[in-house]
Amino acid sequence: MAVWILIMLALPLAAAAAGVVAGDRPVSGWLSVAAAAGSFAAALVLVFGFDAVRGRHALGTAFYLDALSGVFLIAVAFVYAVVAIYSVGYLLPGIGHVRLRRWYWPLLNLFGLALLATPVIANLGVLWVSVELTTVVSALLVTSEGTDESLEAGWKYIVIGSAGLALGLLGIVLMYAAGIPSLGDHYTPTYTTLVHAAPHLNGSLVRTGFAFALVGFGTKVGLVPMHAWLPDAHSEGPSPVSAMLSGALLAAALYAVLRIGAIAQRTVGPSYVHALLLVFGGLSLLLAAFFALRQSNYKRLLAYSSIEHMGIVSLGIGIGGPIAAYGAFFHVIVHAAGKTLAFFGAGDLLSRYETRDADEVRGVIRLAPFTGAMMLLGALAITGVPPFGIFRSELLIVTGGFSQSKYALAGLLVVFVNVAFVGVYQLFHRMVISPGEATARDRARLNRPEQPLMAVAMLASLAVVLVLGVWIPSPLNRLLHAAATVIGDSV
Amino acid sequence: MPAAPHYDFVHAVAAIIAILALLSGLSLLLVKQVHEQVRAYAVLSAFAAGYTLLVGINRVDAALIVLGVWTALIKVIVIPISIDRAVTRQVSEHEVPLVVQVPMSLLIGVTLTGLAYWSASALPIHGALLPSPALGMPLSLVLIGFFFMITRQNVISQIVGLLTLENGVFIATVAIAPGLPFAIGFLLLLDLLPAVVFYGVFARLIAARAKTTSIEDMSVLRG
Repeated sequence: MAVWILIMLALPLAAAAAGVVAGDRPVSGWLSVAAAAGSFAAALVLVFGFDAVRGRHALGTAFYLDALSGVFLIAVAFVYAVVAIYSVGYLLPGIGHVRLRRWYWPLLNLFGLALLATPVIANLGVLWVSVELTTVVSALLVTSEGTDESLEAGWKYIVIGSAGLALGLLGIVLMYAAGIPSLGDHYTPTYTTLVHAAPHLNGSLVRTGFAFALVGFGTKVGLVPMHAWLPDAHSEGPSPVSAMLSGALLAAALYAVLRIGAIAQRTVGPSYVHALLLVFGGLSLLLAAFFALRQSNYKRLLAYSSIEHMGIVSLGIGIGGPIAAYGAFFHVIVHAAGKTLAFFGAGDLLSRYETRDADEVRGVIRLAPFTGAMMLLGALAITGVPPFGIFRSELLIVTGGFSQSKYALAGLLVVFVNVAFVGVYQLFHRMVISPGEATARDRARLNRPEQPLMAVAMLASLAVVLVLGVWIPSPLNRLLHAAATVIGDSV
Repeated sequence: MPAAPHYDFVHAVAAIIAILALLSGLSLLLVKQVHEQVRAYAVLSAFAAGYTLLVGINRVDAALIVLGVWTALIKVIVIPISIDRAVTRQVSEHEVPLVVQVPMSLLIGVTLTGLAYWSASALPIHGALLPSPALGMPLSLVLIGFFFMITRQNVISQIVGLLTLENGVFIATVAIAPGLPFAIGFLLLLDLLPAVVFYGVFARLIAARAKTTSIEDMSVLRG
């Protein structure tokens, strides 16, 4: 298993090094695609070939892979792979607006490396370093369009993200301190060490530690009220970077919260962990749903949708019970695919219309049919319309709520998901379906032939979110059930 | 009647370092010049390094002693000098406009310190050598760092605020988890270097674009 983990991590590192040498020549992009695809394949082997459900260490206690890691690893690896494919097309002249091309591939691959490492690192201290690394590399990627707005977004992101992560580190230190009475002064704070000692940890330190970890890593998840950086960074970064931030980064940070939460709930009981997740998740869903109603910047709208979806996952875990937890983990995977599709569509649209303002975009389906179709399907997918996977995951969470007799929570979830649906769909419908005129010069730009690699990446994301809506392969089903037992009520 | 706690020379030195660290944190709120803010951070870092060394010597822990020396090297010398050289010389103005004026800043800083000590007293935790409540001083630095970042509309000041906050977390780590494996402590510190490099890159980009390190105009993105 260790060999596959090392392969998975070595490929993006090698691609980053090659990117530094080759600069913005096409070979950097192709090597990155190969590395990302290889890492995705290695992740699949690790999760399904080595039966991640059982949970085991590799390379001593350096890495740990269980069902919880598996769910997040698949989501992250998939997003990294499709983003690399999409980026090759997006960076071609005349398509995407990326000025810092020289550093795009090294940074993207380092970003991929940190994201892939996060779910498999066993040591909580090193896990923090990995999440912190995502901040520094992705903040520069956010600025790579080179505009004043992107610089502002990148600065807010790095400052707020780093401050939040400092609190996350304090949370980990408190968890470590909670273990000193039972584990001694010198011990390695791996997940398994702390889980086994959980009944003997100091309860009040664990409570405080988890609260700090939730606020700290929750800043990176984009949970309200720590979300201030997210709409700016997601909307101002290049679209493939936005997809990576939304589909993979938020999930990786959420993984850190849940990993620490899994320890905390074995010490202080699930109700404390669930209550905090419900509060932050509920606030995120509520605020994002209403902000979605008033957006005219379509990329910013997608950013608020990401906050909404992280709120839904938090609520799913917070509701408790195996059904809602299963739904929440399934949501992580389908959201990764659905949001990637939506941001890819938005990137394609932005490259044609050269505006983020939805009021200036009309009649996409006639002027650029493929882009229009992808945009609309992406909007339907992320708003939870059947038969897309997000509908299924949200239905599972609501069902889980009813099965736990948490009717009010389930009801609120249904209401706010529908509010968000109105916000997202009406804007995308207006852009794609409503009739619009274009000048002859604009028409030439809008009718630009579809870039094949961008199309492949969009179709791959669409296929995942669509197929998982109607069929969950049994290995994935087993993985999701097992993940639910790591943090669900059935501990 | 419970016995009075025993304080020896090492505890007394640790208490003095803690007080001086707290005062140097509060002194950040007094200065308007960017260079002085960087210097105040260096002084605070010196106390953080001194405290780490003291704990290391007291516990006869070579790892902590190395960490203390490494902290001194990185935070007292390398980071302040690189911030100072790389960025502040690029711009003409060096005085940071304050959102909250100095007297009010200091008052809020002292209030935050009281709040931190009050919160820390609720936690059943003993810090290495530090007077109880052990987390009082580190948490104060975290809150002061946050407050400093929010009220100083300048990239360098915000970096200094962030690093002050990080110093608070670092001292907390040494105080309540001195046995945290050396490799992790070292890694955390090492992680600071690329972070500072990236902050520097950002600060240079902002300064190059606007010919200032002020971020007062960075408010286009809203809603």
